[in-house]
Amino acid sequence: MIPLVSLVDALLHFLDPSVLARVLFDGLAKASLYVMIAAGLTLIFGLMGVLNFAHGSLTAIGAYLGGLVMVTFAASATGNVGRIALFFVAIVVVFALLTAFGGAMEVTLIRPLYDRPPLYQILLTFGVTLVLEELLRMVLLFYDIQPSTDWLAAQGTRPDIISKTHDVFGLGVEGLEVFQILLGIVITAGVWLFLTRTRYGLYIRAGSEDGEMAQALGVNVHQAFTVVFGVGVGITGVAGALLMWDSAWAASIDLGAEVLLPAFVVVIVGGLGTFRGTVVAGLLVGLVDAFTTELFTSDIVGFSALPELFIFLILVGTLVLRPQGLFGVEEVGGH
Amino acid sequence: MFLPRVQTMITVFYFGLFAMSFDFISGYTGYLSFGHSAFYGLGAYFVILVANGKVPLLGNGTPFMVLLLLAGLLAVVMALLMGAVAFRLTGVYFAMITLGFAQILYVFFSNWDYVGANPRDGIAVLGRQDGFAIGVPYVDSLNMTIGQLQGDTFTWGMDFAAMTGIGALSPISHTIALGPGEVSYYMVGLVVLVCYFAMQRIIHSPFGRAMIAIRENEERARAVGYDTFRVKMGAFAISGFFGAVAGGLFTGYRTSVAPENSFYFLTAGDALLASIIGGFGTVAGPLFGRLFHEGLHEFLTKEGGGLLPYLRSQLGEGTLNTVIIDGFTVAEAIEVFLNGRAGLYIGLLFVLFVLYVPNGLLGTLRAYLGGTVAGQVAQAVKGRVRGWKL
Repeated sequence: MIPLVSLVDALLHFLDPSVLARVLFDGLAKASLYVMIAAGLTLIFGLMGVLNFAHGSLTAIGAYLGGLVMVTFAASATGNVGRIALFFVAIVVVFALLTAFGGAMEVTLIRPLYDRPPLYQILLTFGVTLVLEELLRMVLLFYDIQPSTDWLAAQGTRPDIISKTHDVFGLGVEGLEVFQILLGIVITAGVWLFLTRTRYGLYIRAGSEDGEMAQALGVNVHQAFTVVFGVGVGITGVAGALLMWDSAWAASIDLGAEVLLPAFVVVIVGGLGTFRGTVVAGLLVGLVDAFTTELFTSDIVGFSALPELFIFLILVGTLVLRPQGLFGVEEVGGH
Repeated sequence: MFLPRVQTMITVFYFGLFAMSFDFISGYTGYLSFGHSAFYGLGAYFVILVANGKVPLLGNGTPFMVLLLLAGLLAVVMALLMGAVAFRLTGVYFAMITLGFAQILYVFFSNWDYVGANPRDGIAVLGRQDGFAIGVPYVDSLNMTIGQLQGDTFTWGMDFAAMTGIGALSPISHTIALGPGEVSYYMVGLVVLVCYFAMQRIIHSPFGRAMIAIRENEERARAVGYDTFRVKMGAFAISGFFGAVAGGLFTGYRTSVAPENSFYFLTAGDALLASIIGGFGTVAGPLFGRLFHEGLHEFLTKEGGGLLPYLRSQLGEGTLNTVIIDGFTVAEAIEVFLNGRAGLYIGLLFVLFVLYVPNGLLGTLRAYLGGTVAGQVAQAVKGRVRGWKL
């Protein structure tokens, strides 16, 4: 237990404006990562009720695909602008490939299971994750890339402006974190627009409110499921491509398991079928992560796994107090 | 040549018991306990922590059988606490909250330096020399020590000729020497067998019927008058008990444990694999599922005397060095696609089972025979033997 004196110390530590600003900024950067890794999962879970266990390995595949594009063309795209442009090309490539893959996966594997208990979808996607992970491992070994350690070549393609720490108002701000926050905002806005401004967004909102009613009104739910699964997997891959640059995550096989559980936590805490809930939960988890990391790095608490522990405590706490999640059930469909 | 080794079979036993306990709650009540590894880890850590003298009130010489029982009871308490929260939820949410609990324990035990110097890498038995014995506690002659190194040996039968010096007795002098592996095999197997019968008994009791009723239609079971919450709690507690016993057997035999192979959620994932392949909703099925998994794993590694040495000896140098594509030889292809790749094939098989064989090996066999295997075999024998009366 933390003695009272150190509790006061901790309070004083966080009252320091520069510390507070840094923690908030770190928290925002982490939050945008959490929102992004959960966005694909929440789309799929929201409409179809399928908890996609293969989410983690799809993120890892996205990371490696993005890294592949970056490493292959890094020599021809030098300079800050070139590299960032190339990164957006990589994102588009990853999104296209994984959306196609997700759509195919839905048609061939998930579709036969809709009339079975929902349990079987968890089981199936769990099996898919085992297969994908082993296939990825085989491909990596074939190309002599060490699968269990971070892929440093991909990290090396970061442009200078992102690798450096910039001095803004006397605060050290990492370029990567700024980039993550910006991209997080862009992707969140993109998903938001997809949900509220497109036909399939309408179908998703209608379907997660009352699937049978939507079908009766002429929505081709099967097709909508395929599109949503594809898009969800595509966004998952994009999140992976962004994580590839971050040395705290980086492209490796283990990325799958690292990503999977926080993504579950964010989706469940946010509530079924609400993207707004996911964004809020992502912010919550990100800020708590940054705050508890600071508690450890400033030697106030000597337990290194504090952030991890707190993430799962948030999950359990939410499910105990509000099983439907922060924005669940009552507001299903009200994005 | 293709039979699994004794060591592999011991693994099949204790992990099979864990998979059975997982199936007991998940397959029979329909509540997927994805954090079931919490119980396995609890049992595993409890045994080692007591043996290292880290648990208050219990000396490090406490008999192993007592430890198994205590670990089970501890798991019952934990299951009741977890269940009180988790059974307010259903379906995916239940799976997630149990997973959350297990991960909290995982994070906790991989960072808590009280358990050992380097908690992330796991802990080993340090403060106990005599090993763990299965048998009747406090009666030395009725105990057999298990373990890879410190296990007991046992000689079955008597060599009368050597004892008496009379050569004429040699025809009735037969002995079978059991090494530590074989002794561990029988003793671990004995505990697993007893646990299996206990679970089987519970499933066939009225309580077990109520569990199945919950799986089939919980609302109706409640409407008929079952206190479903209590049945679910009871089932979870029982399954937690056997899960912890399995964990205890695991460390009793291995004398070391790491968070990765006990509390981590993929441990429960392996139990899930075993259950689905063996037969979801059958007590014995998960054991066969695990046997299948371990068997395939051994078949596809270099050590096991399985496929790879066979291929290497049969194909010959010429074939092995044949280039398939772009400097990629057959030998390399075997290395990449077969060696240690059991996970891939198990995963593929798992997907196929989920899609096309949802009842698993044992469930399908039962459907084909039209009843339980034992019942149908008895029926067939009865039909063949004339004048059989029971």
